[in-house]
Amino acid sequence: MNSNANTAGERTSFLPSADAMARRRRRRYLADGAARWMVRAGGGGVVVALALIFVYLFSEVFPLLKGASVDTQASYVAEGSRSAEPAYLALERYGEIGMRYSRDGELVYFHLGDGEVIRRVDLAVPEGIEVTSVGNGEPRARLVTFGLSDGTAIIVRHGFELQFPEAGVRRVVPAPEFPVGADPVLVDDNGAALDTIAVQHSRDDIGVAARTADGRMMFVRFRVSTGSLTGEREVRRQAYELPDAPEPVTHLQLSANLWNLIGADTDGHLVYWDIAKPGQAVVRDRRRVADGDESITALQYLNGTFSIVAGTSTGQLSQWFLVRDETEDAGDNIFFLARARDFEQHPGAITDIQAEYARKGFVVVDDSGHLGVHYGTSARTLLLKKVSDRPLVHVGVSPVNNRIIFEDDAGQLTELDLWNEHPEASLKALWGKVWYEGRSDPEYVWQASSGSDSFEPKYSMVPLTVGTLKAAFFAMLFAMPLAIAGAVYTAYFMSPKLRGMVKPTIEVMEALPTVILGFLAGLWLAPFLENHIPVVFTVLVGLPLAFLLFAWAWAQLPRSVRNRIPGGWEAVILMPIICLLVWGLVELSPIIEIWFFDGSMRQWFTDMGITYDQRNALVVGIAMGFAVIPTIFSIAEDAVFTVPKHLTQGSLALGATPWQTVTRVILLTASPGIFSAVMIGFGRAVGETMIVLMATGNSPVVNFNIFEGMRTLSANIAVELPETAVNSTHFRILFMAGLVLFAMTFIVNTIAEIVRQRLRARYSNL
Amino acid sequence: MMEENREQSVQVPTGVSVSQDREALNIEREDICIETRGLNLYYGEDQALKNVNLRIPRNRVTAFIGPSGCGKSTLLRCFNRMNDLIDICRIEGEILIDGQDIHHRDVDVAEHRRRVGMVFQKPNPFPKSIFENVAYGLRLQGVNDRRKLAEVVENALRSAALWDEVKDRLDDNAFGLSGGQQQRLVIARAIAIEPEVILLDEPCSALDPISTAKVEELIIELKDRYTIVIVTHNMQQAARVSDFTAYMYMGEMVEFDDTSRLFTNPRRRATEDYITGRYG
Repeated sequence: MNSNANTAGERTSFLPSADAMARRRRRRYLADGAARWMVRAGGGGVVVALALIFVYLFSEVFPLLKGASVDTQASYVAEGSRSAEPAYLALERYGEIGMRYSRDGELVYFHLGDGEVIRRVDLAVPEGIEVTSVGNGEPRARLVTFGLSDGTAIIVRHGFELQFPEAGVRRVVPAPEFPVGADPVLVDDNGAALDTIAVQHSRDDIGVAARTADGRMMFVRFRVSTGSLTGEREVRRQAYELPDAPEPVTHLQLSANLWNLIGADTDGHLVYWDIAKPGQAVVRDRRRVADGDESITALQYLNGTFSIVAGTSTGQLSQWFLVRDETEDAGDNIFFLARARDFEQHPGAITDIQAEYARKGFVVVDDSGHLGVHYGTSARTLLLKKVSDRPLVHVGVSPVNNRIIFEDDAGQLTELDLWNEHPEASLKALWGKVWYEGRSDPEYVWQASSGSDSFEPKYSMVPLTVGTLKAAFFAMLFAMPLAIAGAVYTAYFMSPKLRGMVKPTIEVMEALPTVILGFLAGLWLAPFLENHIPVVFTVLVGLPLAFLLFAWAWAQLPRSVRNRIPGGWEAVILMPIICLLVWGLVELSPIIEIWFFDGSMRQWFTDMGITYDQRNALVVGIAMGFAVIPTIFSIAEDAVFTVPKHLTQGSLALGATPWQTVTRVILLTASPGIFSAVMIGFGRAVGETMIVLMATGNSPVVNFNIFEGMRTLSANIAVELPETAVNSTHFRILFMAGLVLFAMTFIVNTIAEIVRQRLRARYSNL
Repeated sequence: MMEENREQSVQVPTGVSVSQDREALNIEREDICIETRGLNLYYGEDQALKNVNLRIPRNRVTAFIGPSGCGKSTLLRCFNRMNDLIDICRIEGEILIDGQDIHHRDVDVAEHRRRVGMVFQKPNPFPKSIFENVAYGLRLQGVNDRRKLAEVVENALRSAALWDEVKDRLDDNAFGLSGGQQQRLVIARAIAIEPEVILLDEPCSALDPISTAKVEELIIELKDRYTIVIVTHNMQQAARVSDFTAYMYMGEMVEFDDTSRLFTNPRRRATEDYITGRYG
């Protein structure tokens, strides 16, 4: 009313002039527009940055999905091919020299690229004696043996040397060796021709196994020593006759420890001799590989000589290995042959299989001109391609898996460049159960590295994903009830003054570095719990009981006593009671252990068949729960606190008790906020690294036992990324673990957001 | 009924129309439902109610009017002990309902609030379905039989003149209703638990005129069964719906009388100033 007092008379205005206002308006629009664009750019930037992270992660992971590819480099006629059949092909790692054995007893070193002969090595097969069989050992041992018609054998190593004649020049020079001497060594004392032969180099010995033309199985061990005084080489020979196979064998392979001999017989079976004690050798097992008219046409041990790959006349490829017989009546160290997996079938009969040098892959050629690149663990066929119109007879692969050479039946050699970086990864190898070498069943295993060259890496994501979920689950199990109940109490029952102290204190807990929590959990809490296991159970039961008892006792006190504590401060007097109770239960723990668990609950667990690890899910649940509580508490408390007062009053005014109001109105109305608090807490628990790294024990097991540890995706990345080779399969699989983690949180958050929106539409007061 | 009232109303000098269809009521002849004796209320150091002595008659509509901050809402909230929720609030004196002190230690607050229902300024339905909103108070008392609930909900909604508008969508969220419907829903919610007194704290201040008319109509219908106390800023409203009116100023009860007498012939100068708009 007063503002209209001076409507009459001159109109004084305090506003600026019309011009100034127009100028100001323009400036305001400009600022408004600029702000709008900056907000847009900022938001867009966040989305783009996220997308780029995703794209980068994916680009690191993508090569895992690619198969192998080859590129023809050179093709030429092999020296001497017309006169003699090829017997074996090999390459050295520098890509300069190829090696070719022919059946007439010659080893030729030749230049890669043009086939020019560098050196011919005559293996000196005696006059009038013929080569009747050829066998090879592990590729990295570079051993080849020729079985002769008089029961003797020649053993050759196609070695080479590196010379550096001047700085910056490297020359690969052939250096063939005869480890047991250049003269043929006796294998069959009866002098029968050796129809099938195998050779292998163990740590101390060279072993040769052969089948003679008259059907006997021979096994000879040569031990080479150099006389300390004479400097002369001495060869000690031990020969054994092995039990006969039911059918004649056409292929033989010896394991690198000279304990196992595996042969393929004319009836399409694999035969397994246990020759660990050669004097008491037995045929342990015989399994059918090929059906009907099919026959086994190629047999080769993979790297490490644990698994053997058999190829058949119809192009079937199967991988076999020895599995321990765990049935009751079987003795110790009794094994049987198990067919682990099959590979993509070739269109023609398999003519040669060669194992890769440092991993479980192999290359295959067949008589229809196809070249195949396969991998054992992942059961992947990375390449199956027609590379020639003629039947192929032999194949060799470079020690660094980047080059293949093969020969057709006309003696034409072809060199190929090979790209085959990540054969170990496949969807099945990463997410399915895989039957690893020597295991009794297919399993989920994560074991990325080991000291041995012949180690089979086990890249199952399942233990890590399960571990991540397990850690997050137990953390949420601990954190959720505490945080939500605490939030409801703080927001709704606590006096404002106390709330003003409690809320910031809990929120400050969020700033506690998780490395400290992990440190405490791993070095203090884990041993403490191990020594006081009963406390876990007594607190779980005792604390709520104590709360109820205290509440009842409190209600019995006379009003005059109760009125001394202002409303909303009751929690403070509960605190010493909690401390006292927990202390009492800790003190009681050894007594309980003596009474009920023969003095040690941990031992009792072991006796009951329950595994108890010191670093276990319980410890992680508590420690990570502590890390997650502030997040959940803070958001849930806000959600409860912002439930409009008029709703709570409306409920109270209808005769509801405060508890009825909480359960029927407040929790319902705050549910979207509480839900997002839980989901954000869960997201944090899934991604949390330091605590799980220090307190889980990092054992990648697949179970939900609260007393066992786990390894999470995040901890696994932290542990293994620093020691993996850049761009190796392992490296890329760790990136994939990151991608899985990213996808998990993304999916969880998306679902959470959708649910939250729905809840909000339903329950939140507008 | 409103139409009837309007036809029979006359314009009084104050500019407020008062229904003239009845004889002036005398508080001395009424059956008293709520009585306050020497009521003082403090918010910390500030005294919000000063020595309020008041007798509110049963099955009548009593209106509290007065400028903002005069304590009329505070007084209203005393009747169902909503002020207990405010920590710093302290009460002296007595409040009797049906002759019983509501602050007596044997009185159960929740049960007391069931007997003395309250409707707030802003419609506050719960984030539940229409049905569940009305059934809420019954469920609190442990009534969960769906058939009983359905009967009570229907009766309450009919009493609140809302049944015809919502009977086909009882399971829809109550937020889907208009402001006026929500306010009538809240009244239905209060009726469903069979209170003796209904306190209305500016129930129409957030509503449009048509909704206001419906709520006022409802209030007049309900007074046969309930004792109704209404706080309002709108003097026309007080004049239209109430039988008795109390004028409060600065925490004091200035004048309490039959509504038509208070508006046409106030005994106190301060009351006259307020109702004729000379106040402030």
